[in-house]
Amino acid sequence: MVDVLILGAINSAVYAMLALGFTLIFGVGRVVNLAHGSFYAMGVYIAYTLVVVLGLPLIVGTTAAVLAVAGIGLAMDRVLIRPLRHSVLAVLIITVVFALFVEQVIFAFYGYTSRNIPSFTTNTLTVLGVTVAGQRAIAFAAGVIALSLVWLLVYRTRFGSAILAVSQDREAATYLGIDVDHVSRTVMVLSAALAAMAGVLVAPVLVVSPQMWVLPLIKSFAVVILGGLGSIPGSLLASVLLGYSETAVSRFVSSTLTELIPLVLILVTLLVRPSGLLGRRIEL
Amino acid sequence: MSRTAPGVAILVALALVPLAVRDRYFLSVFTLANLYAAIAASWDLLSGYTGRENFGHAVFIGTGAYTAALLNTRLHLSPVLGIAAGGGAVVALAILVGVPTLRLRGPYFALATLAVAGIMERLALLLWPLTGGEDGVYGVQPLSLSAPTTYYTTLAFMAIVVLGLYWATRSEWGMVLRAIRANEEACEASGLNVTVYKMGALVLSALPAGLAGGLYAHVQEHVGPAVYSAALSVTVIIMTVIGGIGTIYGAAAGGFLLTALGEVLRGFGPYRLLLFSAILLPVILFWPRGVVVQLAGRLRRG
Amino acid sequence: MRRWGALAIVAALIAIGPSGAGAQAPLIKVGVPGPLQLAVGQGILYGLQLAAGEINAAGGILGRKLTVVPEDEAENPEIGIAAIRKLIESNKVDVLIGGQTSGVTLAQLPVISRGKIVYLGVGAASPLITDQVRKDYANFKYIFRVTPVNSTYLGFALADFVDEFAKTELKATKIAIVGENLVWVQGVLPAMERRLAEKQGVQVVYKELFDVRTTDFSPMFAKARAAGAQFVVPLMSHASSDVVVKAYASLKVPVPWGGIDVKQQEADACEKLGGASVGEVVLFGSPPLKVAVTPKSIPFLEKYTDRFKRAPVYTSFGAYDAMYIYKAAVEKAQTLDPEKVIPFLEKTDYVGASAHVVFDEAHDVRYGPGYAVETMVQWQDGCKRALIWPRSLATGKYVPLAWMR
Repeated sequence: MVDVLILGAINSAVYAMLALGFTLIFGVGRVVNLAHGSFYAMGVYIAYTLVVVLGLPLIVGTTAAVLAVAGIGLAMDRVLIRPLRHSVLAVLIITVVFALFVEQVIFAFYGYTSRNIPSFTTNTLTVLGVTVAGQRAIAFAAGVIALSLVWLLVYRTRFGSAILAVSQDREAATYLGIDVDHVSRTVMVLSAALAAMAGVLVAPVLVVSPQMWVLPLIKSFAVVILGGLGSIPGSLLASVLLGYSETAVSRFVSSTLTELIPLVLILVTLLVRPSGLLGRRIEL
Repeated sequence: MSRTAPGVAILVALALVPLAVRDRYFLSVFTLANLYAAIAASWDLLSGYTGRENFGHAVFIGTGAYTAALLNTRLHLSPVLGIAAGGGAVVALAILVGVPTLRLRGPYFALATLAVAGIMERLALLLWPLTGGEDGVYGVQPLSLSAPTTYYTTLAFMAIVVLGLYWATRSEWGMVLRAIRANEEACEASGLNVTVYKMGALVLSALPAGLAGGLYAHVQEHVGPAVYSAALSVTVIIMTVIGGIGTIYGAAAGGFLLTALGEVLRGFGPYRLLLFSAILLPVILFWPRGVVVQLAGRLRRG
Repeated sequence: MRRWGALAIVAALIAIGPSGAGAQAPLIKVGVPGPLQLAVGQGILYGLQLAAGEINAAGGILGRKLTVVPEDEAENPEIGIAAIRKLIESNKVDVLIGGQTSGVTLAQLPVISRGKIVYLGVGAASPLITDQVRKDYANFKYIFRVTPVNSTYLGFALADFVDEFAKTELKATKIAIVGENLVWVQGVLPAMERRLAEKQGVQVVYKELFDVRTTDFSPMFAKARAAGAQFVVPLMSHASSDVVVKAYASLKVPVPWGGIDVKQQEADACEKLGGASVGEVVLFGSPPLKVAVTPKSIPFLEKYTDRFKRAPVYTSFGAYDAMYIYKAAVEKAQTLDPEKVIPFLEKTDYVGASAHVVFDEAHDVRYGPGYAVETMVQWQDGCKRALIWPRSLATGKYVPLAWMR
């Protein structure tokens, strides 16, 4: 029981990092970015290149990777998404094709054989009698810090108010003199950086392969839908729910069914309460 | 130039393919292209005309395919009966899926359909005593031992589907669909039973996909979980987007184009998908209305 | 940068073909369907290249030189079926040697059968493939399997290992089995459990089939420990097995483990995972160590490693042997006609690098002492490997886990 509490918390933090950026982009720009998982993957592979191939120190390589992905996110927004903003479908399609493109570029350089990024630590922790891999503990800590910083940004700064304003009513925000494009851009950069960060924190204990963008995308969807597209508190709440339900099912039932959970959650939420737990009532 | 002349010309050209292409392998590529074209056209009906983008179209393809394959290998039903049964199963599934999801819009409908297809794919893997898991169902009876016969069967199927759907969109019923896409509230307010129309579009969109799935099972003699994959759903959408949404024939043309592109790139081995996606990015960016449709428009004007 | 490697192989293979000047007999085309992006797929090509090169240097088969025509299956049945069609109908190959993913091979069988072309499998283990030979000989007599031994025998081998090693040396009478929730595991698991029940003395206290997309294996290992398992047998073949291995190492699970882990067969697997594999025992049909499983094993290993600067995988051994087995049958039949070659293939009695190859009536390679055997190799400190079972072939002793010493 205790292990579910501890392990569930760690999973939740990672999901929160992934989902937060996703929900911000949707809230601010009404954009569903199917290449969100690609930021996660790119963060890992760039870190791998810098650390394992070029020999840079771990902390330098991972930080540089996160910054690089933030830049790629900016470029992707400018070049691919901005011109197609008028069509939901076009954005969905171009982002998924971009995700495929990124996967293939990674594959061209590194093949399908899995790689490994070194952990920040190989020690284990024992928390309340539960053995926890050191790397996962670090992921949790870093995640909580990052999420707190984002929370502060959004709810305690002027720029954060701008973000919230644009999410609520884009047009009205323009009238208020808010540079909507600037807000969109920043949010995209933030989202990419968070996803990449989640990647470099978790990849040492997970699979590193070109197709690693798919699963984080599905999890992000599940969290964001459950929490409510565009709602930050919703995403945080839903991350916790998803993280814990997966851990609990895995622990008490079986790992066979664990991966059905995100999909079922998405479907049930959309059918029962499409706006999610804490999202705005959407016009249907 | 009359409206139908290019269509007839293309159909005649396609009918002559087996005479020009002796290589059974290349003929099989054309055969699959026929099926993809029909599937893309069926997707276009719902998504191009009612503004509901279905991101899980593979759920219909897959259900039709597995139904036909399982009925054939377990109960020894003939291909005709199996495929028809697949069509029936798909209609039922469309209604089942449509009732709760059709009231959703935009990205919500897309995600719901994506989730449904994802669950079916997982189930195909989990229920392995029935579906063969990742190995799938093999030993399905071939449609015909003659490659040209198989080709003509799929060609006829594609022609019927494309013509049928095109005719449907040009009818009053099709007009209403477009009105719904433009302004659903207004349609409801004017007394139209919008739900019935949307459901009709979903069922009419699902049926050809399910039948195509059944045909696919008998052409490949095998069905695996890939037939439920998100990759397949997305491929179908890309075909339609490239060809041109909302025209039916654009989607079909996109189906042929993308199959041809995939074949041309086969020679590049491991770089096939890299080039494929690299080519698609600018195409979608610069021709968001569809290459075929924009080209056809220019030809007609010029 | 393996992509360039694959291109280089293909270029080299094209170079093997037409060699020498002047008029020459038409080439014998060997079609190679397989997951060519993966190490196991590339292994097939390398093994064939080695064999074909040697055979060509000695004059070829019936005076005709060999050329290898690869076609990627990408682990996908639709692509695999297209690959076979292309090889048979476009490239018009004379024989097929390859395969690795059982699901793809099963899907390809009808096309191969109608193509009336000999197929020598070198990677897929499902018994369903060779079952077809038994059920419908007239149509499927073209199918043979050189390697690996089929899943049932793999299950037997694992049971033998648990009985002879885990129980006897590690005193483990309670074991846990953790496998991927995939069909191939269903081919191995029942056979293993049956054999264990016959042998008695070992009890399966925990069994779990996990979804390959699982990211957190702490619950699974915790439950295995709670059930009292003294040894864990993994059954893994997917890329996601890395996560399990990393989880095992980072959690410092205090229970030894060993079983089927295809990804951990790769030479650099342990290094890639930063040493997480150390301690794990991995099943090998053909261990990439200087072990004389047959008199030809070590010479093959050395030639292969010299030429390709890497260790061979199980498919490499199989492909190498398959080429020679085909050569022998064709030379006895004095023709390439499958109808005439098949009877001689059935009578194969060939000592190859992988095993002493004799086919049973389902065209499946025989398993057992003197025929094809299975071995267990442990990853040890410094990412070195030692064969620890069977005793007769052992190159080292089992080393307990670092955190259990």
